[in-house]
Amino acid sequence: GELYCSLPNPRNVHFESINMKNVLHWSPPEGTADGVLYKVKYTVYGVGKWIRKPECRNINRTWCDLSSETSDYEEQYYASVKAFLNGKCSDWMETTRFNPLTDTKIDPPLVSVSSTDRSISIILTAPEKWKKSPEEESISLLQVYPGLQYNVCVLNKKTKKRWFFSISNNTLVVPWLEPRTVYCVSAQIHVTTPVLDSGFSKEHCITTLKDK
Amino acid sequence: KIFHLGACRVSLSMTEIRAGFAAIKADIQSRDPIRTLSILSHPHSLHKVKSSDRCCIAHQLFTFYVDKVFRHCRTEDSFVNRKISSIANSFLSVTRELGHCREQNNCVCGEESTEKFKQILANYEGLNVTSAAMKSLGELDILLDWVEKSH
Repeated sequence: GELYCSLPNPRNVHFESINMKNVLHWSPPEGTADGVLYKVKYTVYGVGKWIRKPECRNINRTWCDLSSETSDYEEQYYASVKAFLNGKCSDWMETTRFNPLTDTKIDPPLVSVSSTDRSISIILTAPEKWKKSPEEESISLLQVYPGLQYNVCVLNKKTKKRWFFSISNNTLVVPWLEPRTVYCVSAQIHVTTPVLDSGFSKEHCITTLKDK
Repeated sequence: KIFHLGACRVSLSMTEIRAGFAAIKADIQSRDPIRTLSILSHPHSLHKVKSSDRCCIAHQLFTFYVDKVFRHCRTEDSFVNRKISSIANSFLSVTRELGHCREQNNCVCGEESTEKFKQILANYEGLNVTSAAMKSLGELDILLDWVEKSH
């Protein structure tokens, strides 16, 4: 049975999710130094039972990867953490309800750029949903969010002139450029509903070829 | 934005509804302490409803929210109440559109959607009205996720 639970509770128990890699995080109980151990459980919202996570039993770290347990994004979840120290324990402290579809963050797209003398071609690739193992079939976030779009920024490094494009498919050709000029491209993912925006990717620069 | 639900087409301001719900989600869901029961998603997931039944179950669900949920969700917080009534107004117009579609006989209620909706009502009636309404409102994103996926 449980010990006498007078230990302060773990704080700020929450999911941090990127591309649906869903990791539970928390802060140690107030005023506790080293030596605190934790255990973790989770439940599918609407289903009757809490399930312990064996790999996160008696751990001293303050995170637990629950990606595998929360990979069905048609479901919603709660997770909970309990702390132990010197024979005392805390209460179970829960997250708010976690919806992987709306509560994840999305990485920027991969950007690849090629050029001719007067145009550049840009190919964008949306990140993949987290998967249990490399052998598992890859699912692009494009399949998860059919309304996914790309915002693309093109900068003329010489004139500092900037263009913005918003596109739904993943390729873009920018014509009528100047030869022998450096252009830098960065891109962002924008999902209209549920509203999700990635950050902008780092800049990919390329020089247009000499005039033919 | 236009959404195709089975044989019906409805216009739905999904971005505004999503934004409205996101603004009150934590507040509403914190008023629902029951983890072990879901009104919409268990034991049968909405995502398992076959496409021919979608417009019927959509009409039943939007009507359910207008008739049995929004009106029982008044809170002491005027900000939350304003967001709820804004979402309710959006649902009202969708309910009318789906109703017209059903009148034109394009929207057949098969056994599956009838059974599914019966289960939802049973889940709802298993709680007192305020708890059931607040839980249903807290599950609005389950409905919205399904509408977007079925579209």
